[in-house]
Amino acid sequence: MNKFIAKSESSKKLLNIAQMSSSLPVNILIIGPKGVGKKILAQNILPDASIFDAKTLEETLINKTANIEEFIEIIITNIEQVVNKKEFLERLSNIKVVATTTYLPQDIEASFAVKLDIPPLIERKEDLEELIKLYLKEAKEIYEIEIDSKDIDIDLSSNGVSLKKSIFKNSILKSLKDDDMDYSLEQFILNKLKKEYSYKDLLECFEIPLLKAAKKEYKSQLQMANKLQINRITLRKKIDQYSTQLED
Amino acid sequence: MKDFYEQLIEHDLNPYLLFDSSGKVKSYNKEAEFLLNFVSIKELFQLAVSNASLNFGFNHKYISLKYNKQSYYAILVGYANDDEIALRLYKVVSNTTHTIKDDKLKLVNIFSLIDLSKNSTLLHSKLNINELYDISIPEIKININDFLLCLNECFSTFKEKQNISLQVYIKTGEYEIINQKKCKIVALEFISEENLSFDKSNEKNLETKALKSNANVFFDHNSIKLELPMIL
Repeated sequence: MNKFIAKSESSKKLLNIAQMSSSLPVNILIIGPKGVGKKILAQNILPDASIFDAKTLEETLINKTANIEEFIEIIITNIEQVVNKKEFLERLSNIKVVATTTYLPQDIEASFAVKLDIPPLIERKEDLEELIKLYLKEAKEIYEIEIDSKDIDIDLSSNGVSLKKSIFKNSILKSLKDDDMDYSLEQFILNKLKKEYSYKDLLECFEIPLLKAAKKEYKSQLQMANKLQINRITLRKKIDQYSTQLED
Repeated sequence: MKDFYEQLIEHDLNPYLLFDSSGKVKSYNKEAEFLLNFVSIKELFQLAVSNASLNFGFNHKYISLKYNKQSYYAILVGYANDDEIALRLYKVVSNTTHTIKDDKLKLVNIFSLIDLSKNSTLLHSKLNINELYDISIPEIKININDFLLCLNECFSTFKEKQNISLQVYIKTGEYEIINQKKCKIVALEFISEENLSFDKSNEKNLETKALKSNANVFFDHNSIKLELPMIL
């Protein structure tokens, strides 16, 4: 089980409330955007409980394919996706429920005596730093590379999920060797060929990143033509051809 | 004979007050003495004056009044001269006994629940709470889920305020008969420095939640008071 990172003041408070309420016979609702650690916090509250996706559990209850009453406590993820929330929660009235949701639906508010609102990572600086350290360490071990947080374009659009993805993506790129690259390209082309890509289509796949990289490195078209050793007119034609893709 | 009538009024279940022309109380019975704990003399005098008949005599008026936990359905105002005016309030009496199902009650430290509700409801709030707790209150039997929902609602009301005080104490001399047992009463009083913008729907909502958790709720311009029986 992963540990809920609680380095920031707000996370420490949240963890404290979670621990206080874990032994009480009350339902707990954890609210927050994607990737803030809702499920991990739920597992910290009920470490031995089974985890159900709300939509799947609703179908199970309707079709009576499992006997839910045998559980004492459960974790339900994405409870906002349940269609008939009132009836759904009535069926679980004898079970301690810790549920997660991205927003607070009005019709379930009264069923949860404790509500924990987790702020996004961007508002929890200390937690963010700790998570970056943790994911970097993991990435370093897996890909056997030396990488620093400065080498990474951190993406927090989906909090921890996108953060991890961006760190691993950057780590993979840094770890790639020439033969890995050849193999990746081969696989890439193979997939495209299955979709009946033409030679011209595939050429785009090489020329666009090549021109983007050259633009970054050499700045002017004159230098680009010199270094790439192609005719300036040909280069201009190519730049005009991919003008939309090269804009950013 | 005069003594007998006085005794009759003294022992009446309905409150009786006699005011002079300036609004001072000249005499009152036991029930009125109890009533004066919750309502000012001035307010009752105003009630009497505004409902008096045009000429000397007696005037009955059916109005719904509520002071603390007690409701009244009518008043009688009478005066025979310009120096004295009498007010009698008629209680709404029900003989139903208060029973609470024990199966959902759990022995718990009330301060832990207050802490939990305060911390979760005011997680992102800057409200400063001056806590005045009577820590001698023992663990009591509470419907934890419903009581927490009620507490959450109370704390939410003060979310945007700067400072409040929260007093938790055992009421002296007041009891409730629950499941045929005499129970002391624990009061939780949330007092703000500013007035509260509380409308009827907020009051109704909190009253419903309080009732579900076996508590009574009382509103004032700047405070909310919860009272719940100390079931041990």
